[in-house]
Amino acid sequence: MVNLEDLKNEAHKLLKEGTVKYIIGYERGTNGLLPIPAFIKNPEDVERLIWDPTCVFNLTRFLVDEKRRKASEKEPDERPVGVIVKGCDSRALVVLLQEKFINRDDVYILGVSCEEAGVLDEKKLAKTLKGKKAKNIEFTKNDNFVVMTEDGKTEISAKEILAERCLECKANFPVIYDILLGEKVKRKSDKPFGSLEKFESLSKEERWTFWKEQLDKCIRCYACRSVCPMCYCDECVADTINFAVTADTTAEEKAQKIKWAEKSPVTSENFVYHLVRAIHLAGRCIDCGECERVCPLDIPLRLLNKKLEKEAKELFDYEVGFDPDQPSLVSSFKDEDPEDFIR
Amino acid sequence: MVHNDYIPKLAHILEIKEEVGGARPIKTFRTQFQNKNDFSFRCGQCAMLSVFGKGESMISISSSPLVKDYLQFSILKMGRVTSALHEMQPGDIIGIRGPYGNGFPIKDWKGKNLIFIGGGIGLAPIWSVLNTALGKKEEYGDLTLIYGARTSKDLVFREELEEIKKKIAVHLSIDVEESDWNEFVGFVPQNVTDKKPSPNNAITITCGPPIMIKFVIKALEDLGFKDEQIYTTVENKMKCGIGKCGRCNIGSHYVCKDGPVYSWAELKKLPQEY
Amino acid sequence: MEKILTKKSFPQWVKKLSLYKIYAPVRDNDICNLEAIDNPESIDLDCSNTVLSPKKIIFPQREIYLEFETSDENKLQVKEILPEETPSVIFGVRPCDAKALTLTDKVFSGDFKDPYYWKRRNSTTLIGLACNIPPSPNCFCLSVGGSPHSKEGLDILMTDLGDKYFVESLSEKGSTLINLAKPLFQQPKAADKKAVEKTQAEAEKKIVRQIKDIKKIPSILENMFDSPLWDKESLSCLRCGICTYLCPTCHCFDINDEVSSSSPVKGKRVRTWDNCQFPDFTMHSSGHNPRPDRSSRLRQRILHKFQYFVELYKDYQCTGCGRCISKCPVGIDIIEVLDKVSDYGS
Repeated sequence: MVNLEDLKNEAHKLLKEGTVKYIIGYERGTNGLLPIPAFIKNPEDVERLIWDPTCVFNLTRFLVDEKRRKASEKEPDERPVGVIVKGCDSRALVVLLQEKFINRDDVYILGVSCEEAGVLDEKKLAKTLKGKKAKNIEFTKNDNFVVMTEDGKTEISAKEILAERCLECKANFPVIYDILLGEKVKRKSDKPFGSLEKFESLSKEERWTFWKEQLDKCIRCYACRSVCPMCYCDECVADTINFAVTADTTAEEKAQKIKWAEKSPVTSENFVYHLVRAIHLAGRCIDCGECERVCPLDIPLRLLNKKLEKEAKELFDYEVGFDPDQPSLVSSFKDEDPEDFIR
Repeated sequence: MVHNDYIPKLAHILEIKEEVGGARPIKTFRTQFQNKNDFSFRCGQCAMLSVFGKGESMISISSSPLVKDYLQFSILKMGRVTSALHEMQPGDIIGIRGPYGNGFPIKDWKGKNLIFIGGGIGLAPIWSVLNTALGKKEEYGDLTLIYGARTSKDLVFREELEEIKKKIAVHLSIDVEESDWNEFVGFVPQNVTDKKPSPNNAITITCGPPIMIKFVIKALEDLGFKDEQIYTTVENKMKCGIGKCGRCNIGSHYVCKDGPVYSWAELKKLPQEY
Repeated sequence: MEKILTKKSFPQWVKKLSLYKIYAPVRDNDICNLEAIDNPESIDLDCSNTVLSPKKIIFPQREIYLEFETSDENKLQVKEILPEETPSVIFGVRPCDAKALTLTDKVFSGDFKDPYYWKRRNSTTLIGLACNIPPSPNCFCLSVGGSPHSKEGLDILMTDLGDKYFVESLSEKGSTLINLAKPLFQQPKAADKKAVEKTQAEAEKKIVRQIKDIKKIPSILENMFDSPLWDKESLSCLRCGICTYLCPTCHCFDINDEVSSSSPVKGKRVRTWDNCQFPDFTMHSSGHNPRPDRSSRLRQRILHKFQYFVELYKDYQCTGCGRCISKCPVGIDIIEVLDKVSDYGS
């Protein structure tokens, strides 16, 4: 079990010694059970840091903001940014390094191992508590969760309230780090693609009905895209105008930009948006599940990404997020690649 | 029948004149409504032009309300809609809705000297009020135009300017020296400082790139103009034109409805969000 | 008009309204959506508040303005499209969401009355449901002039009294609906009225979140345009559209041409929701952007709701539904932000 005090001490040391310019971690918010991202600059503020099963966010998303901010600064602070990562988040970092979107020197990785636990699924917890409100949740030594409600403490088996992705996690400890807290224990996961089973048993027609119903709910708030560390493009095919317009962009260039998807939240446009996103995440999505968590309409977006992860594994024996030097899935070719995927 | 302001009236293009070529081309379009013209507007107001299939763009009306035969727009090719407009030919159909915005308070300017200061395409909104004042010259004091562009080729309404020179004082400028150029060389604000217009009983109307406006205002202040004597226009991205779609606001002002014309006294009070 | 309707009779009442299109909260696993329904049994009035408010019906995310087409003779034709005036009823409208419609009413009125909005608005009857228990832990209606049993904007208010509803008609539209099923309704007894009063008083106590010094906020904000607070509070903002799209009062929109054929030209001009948190919202076609960063966009959201709207319409553009707080992926909390604004002013 990772000791919060150890985490605070490490963070304090890094800030005090000036090794990092700031640390991205988790702190208690005011809006509910889940924490909020913390950006800590002063060593004394490390007291705000928390580490518990509510720490669901993938904080590597904020490295994208950091990169943009740094690029706009005239004399940027060249020190790395400290970031707290779980196993899944560390794999996102590996992809960002693999794609050379960020430099290894620009980030100081504080790895925290989930050990045999993981983070919770708020909806599962709500169901388990049957209307009672959780005030606080902690890990226990045997990787269960202790939940504090208005009626006192109850211990809940981790399996019951863990996020689905944690149950299917391939490495519940950071695969890349500068400091590691906790043990590298691998939880047994018999069914790495278990959540796909029900969906895969459906016929083509049933799948169409399922996805049409789901994607018709989409209001195109783009929270799924905004929260994703891999959606770092300056311009996105989903936008009717593109962000990357500068003073030098000519009228012709602007006029010729193709509107791939209209703003209207109708079936065709929603499909274009979500399928393009899914395809662009093939071999890149590390299953942090953030897109699905933030979706206000509860669209099961993780299923799409998980399915492509499975395809990549089965067709190309490709596993994402373990090796920054590995060639990327979509830009590499091997002699033994199956030919039947392009027809 | 419900009045639906979102539906444009159809108009055809009578005439297209190429004002400026090159990488930032400007064309002037004269348009006429297909049905009877019940489009009455004030100087400084804008209209939302449609190219069906491309979208809409808010453009200031550059003809005078005294002209009843056509509506004129001078348009810089900038994005999707204006590029489509530049591709059009006389006879082609566009949509027009409006007019939008407050316009210049010219009724209050009777008997005053008017000094027009424009840069580049910024002469378009000025053109409407300048020609209105010229049409009723007896109602105003002295009229002066100070206008400049990057090069002599970037000046709009060149032929008309020659005509106007016969009636009022016109001071042209270009940013950098050219052979055959006999007038001022330098930026518009410098030309203002050079020509020293008097603030006595005067109103200035300045339109152009934001950076030019900023320095023109500074030059005018140095010459003793008061904030209430300086008028300018502001632009922001617009969609509805009627203060509902929410994107062109500066503070609680919607530029499409409460603007685009502001005195410097009014504009100073608003946040810098344009 | 005050009546009593047993919960058992409720579906029969809905059945009697067959001339109307019925919208109501429907459960979808862990969330509730406002949907058009055929079967009264699918209505779930025990749901927490719906993800989207009735805004999505009165001001739908997509509205067609017109259709255009070039004919064979190369003649361009433009056809105005207006929504059909379908008499509709929305059940389960929470008081905050009804109040929100009174605010969008102001925006879509004025010199130009938006025909799309008003056609839908005028043909819709709003049946409210008082919040005996706050639907969200982040409810704060009491701070912005509302209450869990406010009648503002509603045609009928229903209060849950266990096995029955206390039904109060607040407009002619409301009375019409009750009269369509007269025999189902009973006269309330004195005890029922007492029960309503008690429930309402208790409901108010259950709302825990509040904005301190709300009355001072608009004047403090006038001097906060250049405050460093916006940078600080927007640090984690992801620039998604949840806070505004889910907001029952946010009304910003975009207008675009959607083309089904480019030669000959054929297509539709449509209005869709848009929002001030998207970077391209205010971007000029030159690339210049008056609100280029998330700090200026958060500032716009707060200032619009608590300063500009107050200047224009003498009311806050917020009804305390708490959606933006609960659903923000990074926990940006408008109450916290406003409390910091108050601190700034003191």
